[in-house]
Amino acid sequence: MGWLTGKTARLAGDSPAIAAALEAQGAELVDQADCDVLIHVAPQPRDVPAHKLTHDQWRATLDAGLDQRFLLAQDFAAHRRAARRGGAIVFVGAPEQALGADQAAAGGALGNLTKTLGVEWARDGIRVNTVQTHDRGETLGNLVAYLASDYAAYVTGAVMGVGLDD
Amino acid sequence: MLVPAHHIVALPPPFEEPPYPADVFAGQTALVTGGGSGMGLAMARAFAQGGARVAVMGRSLEKAEDGAHQIGALGGQVHAMSCDVRLPEQISAAFDEAERVLGAVSLLANNAGANFPILAQDISANAWNAVTRIAIDGTFLCSAEFARRRIAAGQGGAIVINSAQYIWTGFPGDAHSAAAKTAQATMTRKLARDWAPHGIRVNAIAAGFFPHATSTAGRREGGTEALQNMIPAGRTGSIYEFGWLSAMTCTDLLGGLTGQVILQDGGESLRRSLMMPDYIPPRERAEGPWGWR
Repeated sequence: MGWLTGKTARLAGDSPAIAAALEAQGAELVDQADCDVLIHVAPQPRDVPAHKLTHDQWRATLDAGLDQRFLLAQDFAAHRRAARRGGAIVFVGAPEQALGADQAAAGGALGNLTKTLGVEWARDGIRVNTVQTHDRGETLGNLVAYLASDYAAYVTGAVMGVGLDD
Repeated sequence: MLVPAHHIVALPPPFEEPPYPADVFAGQTALVTGGGSGMGLAMARAFAQGGARVAVMGRSLEKAEDGAHQIGALGGQVHAMSCDVRLPEQISAAFDEAERVLGAVSLLANNAGANFPILAQDISANAWNAVTRIAIDGTFLCSAEFARRRIAAGQGGAIVINSAQYIWTGFPGDAHSAAAKTAQATMTRKLARDWAPHGIRVNAIAAGFFPHATSTAGRREGGTEALQNMIPAGRTGSIYEFGWLSAMTCTDLLGGLTGQVILQDGGESLRRSLMMPDYIPPRERAEGPWGWR
């Protein structure tokens, strides 16, 4: 029995380690909004000094690292509420201070959004957690799978990294 | 108030289904400070569920033996010891004893702590010293003893620390513990950095409300039933899910995890709204249902 046996999981974004861990723990990977678990992995923006960031670059990071995540989470939560079932969201991205000012803004916003949604949707049985890390390996995959599972039923609104430089 | 029936409450799998295989810690010895009861006992049981031999350390040998008895019921080897974690010589002797009986200690859970609600103005120097030094000095001294032995043996290991969900907000009415638990969390990151070259990982759980027989809430008149609706998650924590997460951080499944403080509180520390109940100074609620007078 895996941590996610019997659950459907949608992995938005690219992370072979997370996909492998979800499947190893018994999740069925699906591509529809109506599922038990939503994992969103944002692409890592380039590290550009603030004075050289164009507004378009700035917007792209905020869009991928914050806006799209919120809208996707909102849609996921609406489906879960309609189905009268709980669920789990895990956001994955780069550490807040690791790259440019665009990531610092998006990462910090995402962290406090996580804390907010975790409480706002708590009584819908929907948990929301975030991992902000440089790690792309097995630990990240297993950590995300654990957070997505019922084993983390009492973990919500948590923002964490994996390694020392996260 | 009870949690309304139409709310959905997320629940963990039952205790009999831990998140890791029964041999995940096979051949390893875990030392748990304050492991005779409460949250330390939950950590010790979680290690035992993963096949670790468990050394239970407590200030009172009797309490440690009680805990050891419950851990032993899960199968596996267990040994109870008495130790005051504020005293380096006692810690060293306890590690010697644990290693003599159970073999080299490669997992350490720092749980020993004292905590009781009290007004800041009423905390005696003795009480302040007891609460802060058991948690702050005790965690440091036990971790350093562990690390020196692992480094000398040329082997890595894993440490987990029982911190608390109020470390980022303060905890009015519990000033000694507010200071102590935050020190544990902030030393986590630095200990992890110091010992990463030696393969020793250090993580902490910022634990929420896990009522048990020896907690203030556990002794509350009327039990903890009435407290469930206070938590966003719709319930207080089950103590074994705290044990599991603690033990999980020490498994190779999370072999890259270090320097992290993981919040496990059902959203309790995060609940906030623009309109909140009137502020009541701790000294004026001392006589209420959470009274400490």
